[in-house]
Amino acid sequence: MKNMARSDTRQWDTAVELHGVCKTFRQKQTGDGLPRNLLHPVYSEIRALDRVNLTIYRGEFVAYAGPNGAGKSTTFKLLCGMLGADSGTVRTCGLDPLRRRIPLMRQTGVLLGSRTELWWDHPVISSFKWKKEVWDIDEKTYARQLDLAVDMLDLGPFLHTFARELSLGQRMRADLGMMLLHDPQLILLDEPTLGLDVLAKRRMIDFLKSLHREQGRTILVTSHDLDDLTEMAQRIVMLAQGRIAFDGSLPELRAVAGSARHVTVDCPACPALPGCTHLKSEQGRHTFSFNPAMLPVGDLLAAISRLPDVRDVQLSDAPIEGVIADLYRSWKA
Amino acid sequence: MAARLKKLARLFALYARMDAQWFAQDTALCLVCVLSETLSSIASVTAVFLLAVRFGGVGSMNQDEVLFMLGFYTLSTGLYNLFFNGNNTGEISRRIGRGQLDHCLIQPLPLWVQLLTEGFLPISGCQGALCGAIITAVAAGRLRLAVTLPSLLLFLLFLLASVGVQVGMRYVASLSAFTHPVGSEEISSVMGNFLTSIGYYPLGGLPHWAQGLLVTVLPAGCLSWLPSMLLLGKSPFSGAMALYPLVAVLVCGAGALSFKKGLKVYEKYGSQRYKAMGHRS
Repeated sequence: MKNMARSDTRQWDTAVELHGVCKTFRQKQTGDGLPRNLLHPVYSEIRALDRVNLTIYRGEFVAYAGPNGAGKSTTFKLLCGMLGADSGTVRTCGLDPLRRRIPLMRQTGVLLGSRTELWWDHPVISSFKWKKEVWDIDEKTYARQLDLAVDMLDLGPFLHTFARELSLGQRMRADLGMMLLHDPQLILLDEPTLGLDVLAKRRMIDFLKSLHREQGRTILVTSHDLDDLTEMAQRIVMLAQGRIAFDGSLPELRAVAGSARHVTVDCPACPALPGCTHLKSEQGRHTFSFNPAMLPVGDLLAAISRLPDVRDVQLSDAPIEGVIADLYRSWKA
Repeated sequence: MAARLKKLARLFALYARMDAQWFAQDTALCLVCVLSETLSSIASVTAVFLLAVRFGGVGSMNQDEVLFMLGFYTLSTGLYNLFFNGNNTGEISRRIGRGQLDHCLIQPLPLWVQLLTEGFLPISGCQGALCGAIITAVAAGRLRLAVTLPSLLLFLLFLLASVGVQVGMRYVASLSAFTHPVGSEEISSVMGNFLTSIGYYPLGGLPHWAQGLLVTVLPAGCLSWLPSMLLLGKSPFSGAMALYPLVAVLVCGAGALSFKKGLKVYEKYGSQRYKAMGHRS
């Protein structure tokens, strides 16, 4: 078994390949009355993925985003071999995840943020030793990866603590450390920052960035926190209603969403700025959005300089959350 | 083949170590569990034995034969607990119904290897098997049964068949957990309760059609009554010696096929439901 699995671990250049992938789920709808539910149940069809084409190459760090129900988790499950596609081709590390799940899992690390792979009633280190045995990790790799995880994720203080006694942040770090023990070439992370506080989230992001930069790992990550995703990843893939609605870099995303900028004026009364849209006023700070293509920044600053009692002016990009929310709204329309 | 057996042995050793760790980490709790399980194992069969003593036997078995059957039952259910009680590998509908098969699917091991080894509890789950072995040995002594190699092998084969029936029936029932995860989360334990609540009664007093039903379609009689009768040389009907292993093989095969069919459903629909509790507690 061991020899067979090892021979399947071959080199690949394309980490993820989806070609025309469709996945539809049926949901039973509760109708009126028992007889109808029993005799003529009504089902609705939900197209989770609709002819999705996606290629991710070795060494890429890709953020996979989209509103709730867009098909992110379905994609992850297809890539791990937990689900089969209705049609189309799925390849992960060059392998068919359904048919070659075992060799695939030897080179892939999967972290599902809402779940833990740690043994609940055992110390963290016991779960790590369990993984060493189940994954057939050799001593050298295990020692190297354990050192890396303990060092970069600061696992030392709670390595011998029961998993059930860890805080959520500690648990996520321990799960991430465990995921890395077999030195996976492809890392699939579903909501790794879910529920983490600011410090824990920062630590997680820094770790993933260094993992990609220094070790060249291929990482595909989903999150609802788009600021995190755009900070981490070089490439952003956005799903909407089962289709890829955007695939590119952050500057390209901003260009697609419109190059709206924000100006915040610090003065006692809310001023009227022609060509700008008032967004909010808080404690004498008034925020407007404007389109630099329509209203050049120089003209705007000249107009502000003519206002009385202006104490400060601040120009900024529109927050990415807002940009993407506008995109989601436009896709749903 | 040799590599696979070696891997299985290493995994059994791994789960044995983890069970021992649990014992070492929480010794008082573990001892309480062991004691209560031991008392429970004995108490569950005491009523039938007392009835046998009071009436000088039950259903064509004298009291020592009833004791032998109860020993076989305790040993068989004890072995089930020893190998399949940990991490819900026997109560598989819980793992299916709670959407926890995903945890298995990210391990680089065949599912059958995981399910065969993850439930092994040699320290915290051995009480039933120990009690059963002692009761069986006492009963065999009182009955003056000649222990020969063939009889011992037959005894072990029947034990294997009895455990196989328990596991297989649970897996057959668990097919519905793939399609109805909420409603069927506990279906395997319901099936287990059915088998174990009938499994320690001598069925000799029942009409033949009921006996036939309980050793084929609803094989609770295969847990201890039929194998004990056969081991004691009191075959209840002709062909029983061939029927018993056949039923066990068929039930195990049906369990494996049901699980395989269920996995196809899982592959198509996945699980939209996930419960964190109970997977590795």
